[in-house]
Amino acid sequence: MRRAVVVRRIVVVGGGIAGVGTVAALRAGGFDGDLTLVDAGEFPYDRPPLSKDFLKGDKDIKDIALQPQQWYDDQAVRLASLTTVTALRPDVGGVELSDGTTLPADRVVLATGGHAARPPIPGVASPLVHVLRTAEDADRLRSALTLGARVLVVGAGLIGAEVASTALDLGCDVVLVDPVHPPLAHAVGADVATWLHDLHTRWGIRTVHAGLESLVDRGAEVEAPGIGVFDVVVLGVGMAPDTALARAAGLDVDRGVLVDERQVTSTPAVLAVGDSARLRDGTRTEHWEAAQHDGQRAAATILGLPAPTTTAPWFWTDRHNLHVEVVGDMAAADVTVIRGSFDTPPFAVFGLRDGRVVGAVAVDDSTAVRAARRMIDRTLAVDPGRLADTAVDLRKLLRG
Amino acid sequence: MSTGIRVASLEDIPEGEGIAVAKDVTGTADDIALLRDYDGSVWALDDTCTHETASLADGWVEGGYVECPLHSSKFCLKSGEVQGLPATKSTCPHRVEIRDGEVYLFPNEAP
Repeated sequence: MRRAVVVRRIVVVGGGIAGVGTVAALRAGGFDGDLTLVDAGEFPYDRPPLSKDFLKGDKDIKDIALQPQQWYDDQAVRLASLTTVTALRPDVGGVELSDGTTLPADRVVLATGGHAARPPIPGVASPLVHVLRTAEDADRLRSALTLGARVLVVGAGLIGAEVASTALDLGCDVVLVDPVHPPLAHAVGADVATWLHDLHTRWGIRTVHAGLESLVDRGAEVEAPGIGVFDVVVLGVGMAPDTALARAAGLDVDRGVLVDERQVTSTPAVLAVGDSARLRDGTRTEHWEAAQHDGQRAAATILGLPAPTTTAPWFWTDRHNLHVEVVGDMAAADVTVIRGSFDTPPFAVFGLRDGRVVGAVAVDDSTAVRAARRMIDRTLAVDPGRLADTAVDLRKLLRG
Repeated sequence: MSTGIRVASLEDIPEGEGIAVAKDVTGTADDIALLRDYDGSVWALDDTCTHETASLADGWVEGGYVECPLHSSKFCLKSGEVQGLPATKSTCPHRVEIRDGEVYLFPNEAP
């Protein structure tokens, strides 16, 4: 027989978008018990600007706070800042904190995120080699991106492309290397991926199609054999989920903290959300909105509320003054429809399967991607000819 | 009592969309977005998203909300109240009246 447990104390571990999204959803869902958000930083901040405005210096750390300080007071959330959780103790119903205290908790939500991956190649430990995951990383990198600095960006995915674009804006001499051509084809389709990657060249970045085998630390500079000599190297080769707490507590971990579709780990009192969580038999997603949705699902699970409705996954990225949005799953498409022209953004590409939109990528075309999202969510049959016709209002198409 | 500023004809604003009225017309700190929902109602909010520089008049209007064209923060058409991240601040609503198919704006008056 399952006994009802009254949940009065919840601890959320990690102040990224997943953690903050979780506490917001718990309060929005009516939870009125003790709620603590443990965060290693001074306050939770938003990560997407770290490779864009924040790196450029157009925004400071206060500008990118996920919520103003007052919000935590208004929501009665205890923000345990500059604090880490050192151990989960589901056996005693609490977590141990870096200040030596134990915080009692009926439910713990892990939103521990991850850290930037460093490929195990020679020379990678040079102080001239940077990664970008935290505001501190971005501060360090910014101070290195001086006018005329020779910068090698390793990895031309989302973060790499954004960093390359920002470094170029800051007046650096940028080389972008990736073993895959075109990068991001799985996310945006080969045609858009090629167009996006070629933008770098048009703006004056040298792109190199190669794998990076080694770096040679020459003190004041770093040599990438066969590519060049650089003042700064930035690795944008992905992240590794932070699963140490879960692993130490004996939770099931396999390329992420394993969760069910309700975000519950192998230990019923512990849930996991965001970049560090992986759906059992599924893949880990690392996008901003997906992390928030995880938090909303976790809150619904804890509060016994119906799960929030799911919607097609969506993310954005910015490079060379263009705003790119992707919705759904372009890889699932068997037909693509181009709306507009690659030569003159805005444009959008819709991916269709069996006459229904399954994905879309838009460049500076917000309406197209929002319409596409609704078409995907409603599994609406659409006429490809009308989708391609820029004279047809997509809002009307959606309304039949 | 002010009679408002005639800023547009109703037919200038398609349902589900918005248009921006320049601040030198409205006399406000920001441009004002006129946003028309599918029930035919027209609402006015400060045009610039409170998160980053984006025009809410270019947003997606539906079901009582406008969604920012950049990062999809939603704002209540009636109150300007922010509904979700990344924006954290609400935006300012203004009163609108429709008379004989013309849209009159009352800047800085509550709807």
